[in-house]
Amino acid sequence: MHIDPFETLADPTRRRVVDALRGGERQVNDLVAVVGIHQSGVSRHLRILSEAGFVAMRPDGQRRLYSLKPDRFRELDAWLAQYRMLWEARLDRFGAALEARQQQRNAQRSMEDDGD
Amino acid sequence: MATDRIESSLVIERTYRADVEELWALWTTKDGFESWWGPDQFRAEVHSIEARPGGALRYDMVADTPEAIAAMEQMGAPTSQPCRGSFTEFRPYERLVLTQLIDFLPGVEAYDSSMTVDFFPLAAGEVRMVVTLSQMHDAPTTAMQREGFTSQLAKLDRRYGA
Repeated sequence: MHIDPFETLADPTRRRVVDALRGGERQVNDLVAVVGIHQSGVSRHLRILSEAGFVAMRPDGQRRLYSLKPDRFRELDAWLAQYRMLWEARLDRFGAALEARQQQRNAQRSMEDDGD
Repeated sequence: MATDRIESSLVIERTYRADVEELWALWTTKDGFESWWGPDQFRAEVHSIEARPGGALRYDMVADTPEAIAAMEQMGAPTSQPCRGSFTEFRPYERLVLTQLIDFLPGVEAYDSSMTVDFFPLAAGEVRMVVTLSQMHDAPTTAMQREGFTSQLAKLDRRYGA
């Protein structure tokens, strides 16, 4: 099943977990301090983030280190990029319309000048 | 619940060699708006554009090429779509906010979409225009809407034998 990335990130606490991981690998206990909720809550959010593909876990001896996985974020970025492209094209037309008006205005001006 | 809503936004900016009045006119006059608005292969036909705070904007989005017309017909969508919005902020030559009601997507509940346009005059006859697009998504319903939308498409597929 493909999990909706927006739904996963809609939870503000989960976004705090993601923010806390931006600086690099963290253990659950480090995250408890930063995110400000109980350890069981942090673990639950990490599990949901892992299932959705946003977070990876790496065992290091006794420790479990969590970090961000870039792929899902790239997908979000690619999704947004489509809308960016639509708007780039729109503003291209805006620029073209502007130039057309400017040329028209300049032509009118020079005609008026000729008439003087 | 406020915490379940996420606002997604997209910022896009350009710098134009123009007077800010010219840029403003492209957003707030019938001629100006019609000269560029709309996705590729569509044109806007403005019915009313009230250039004042809270002023209404009503226009039709019209499929403008044979390809666009064919594509809309194939989707079972009208080739001309009434759109309405209002200038929820209107500060001439500084800031414009256009809020539109998106109520025409099949299977998607109506929602507000807004774009904020900021104009920053630069030295040497240039103006920087920054467009910020935002939409409020209701996260749990987004998933449901998508299902509604998918089933709607499946219905259309059946109807048109795609």
